[in-house]
Amino acid sequence: MKQPLTRRNVLFKIGGTLAGLLSFAAARTAKAAVQKHFVSTLAPKGYDPTKHKWLMALDIEKCIGCGLCVEACKTENKVPKGATYFRTWIERYIIKKPEPGSGESRGEVLVDSPNGGISGFPPALVPREEILKSFFVPKLCNLCENSPCTQACPVGATFDSPDGAVLIDPNYCIGCGFCIQACPYGCRFMNPETKTAEKCTLCYHRITRGLKPACVEICPTEARIFGDLKNPIADDPIQNFIAKNKIQALKPHLGTGPRVLYAGMDKEVR
Amino acid sequence: MPPQVVRLVLLTLGIVGSYMVARYFLTPASFHQYGWFRGAALEEIAAREPVFAGKEACNECHSEVSQKQAKGPHKTLSCETCHGVSRDHAGNPDIMPAKLTGSHCIRCHEDNPSRPAWLKQIVLKGHYSGKCSECHVPHQPNEVP
Repeated sequence: MKQPLTRRNVLFKIGGTLAGLLSFAAARTAKAAVQKHFVSTLAPKGYDPTKHKWLMALDIEKCIGCGLCVEACKTENKVPKGATYFRTWIERYIIKKPEPGSGESRGEVLVDSPNGGISGFPPALVPREEILKSFFVPKLCNLCENSPCTQACPVGATFDSPDGAVLIDPNYCIGCGFCIQACPYGCRFMNPETKTAEKCTLCYHRITRGLKPACVEICPTEARIFGDLKNPIADDPIQNFIAKNKIQALKPHLGTGPRVLYAGMDKEVR
Repeated sequence: MPPQVVRLVLLTLGIVGSYMVARYFLTPASFHQYGWFRGAALEEIAAREPVFAGKEACNECHSEVSQKQAKGPHKTLSCETCHGVSRDHAGNPDIMPAKLTGSHCIRCHEDNPSRPAWLKQIVLKGHYSGKCSECHVPHQPNEVP
């Protein structure tokens, strides 16, 4: 039913519209006031995560097990001391010769990582003549394409950044630990001080400033190779690595889409 | 409509409405910037100060050392691999980087069957009891002092 056009009705309509507009503006102002508590601006300027795609590659033939990368990572990222807190670590694989007449191609496989290899490795656990072969495998976040940690996080605190890093929003993490269980590579841990999950960030604060991650910077043999797939440089190390080596990834059968590349990896490596 | 249904509808509308209001105020502005997460978190994670200065910072003053180093087998080493965190030194040359001891050489060059064969390794016991640098130049390992 149409209302008659009286002065009273017109004034009511104008008043209603004004009140609506005012309350909308007030809501926006109030929202901005609330949002102020979420925002911080200390980051390096001019970094656009959609214009990069970072990747790490590891050359097992070059790793000498010095553990300087593990030490550098702990120093750079203030990772808590202690034998269970690592963003990167080194594993030593020792494959023994098979028992004579056993018909096996290889003997027992021994894997150790004393304190993550942070102080290097003690002499071999078995005499040299019993070793078929032995090597070191550096481990870190595999930067999965279908990262199970991201899927497990109930609050959206873990996410796949558009530049390839898998990161944790420390302000959102509730410390439930589901992501730690979800990661099949054991790359996450609970920080005992902040009570939030923590992992390799590819040294996000370094790469956004044009520096290399600390482990890559410190590695004395270039066993760790790091690069930007979207912005290859002249004689790009990661492109050369992909071209020259036979590449494998860790646990590809799990369907997590691990992006970190390994060259010279043996079938025993898990 | 029966009054109990009206009450139920009003209650549902009230709950949904207050959820919508809470969501409007509490969802951070950058939440859907890149995906189902807070886009500002990227900036917050990137905001930390780096610890290691990086080889390029060293090259600003010490390029002659790295040019010599680039000719020898230690060409792949970064300065801070041996000299330790030198960020303070890069900002103020009066602050010296951590001093090194001979045990640092051994960290890489002590014999270990797990190490690749291309790496030069020694058994320290019985090698020599003095300082490494008496016979080896760290920046140019192929040269004799």
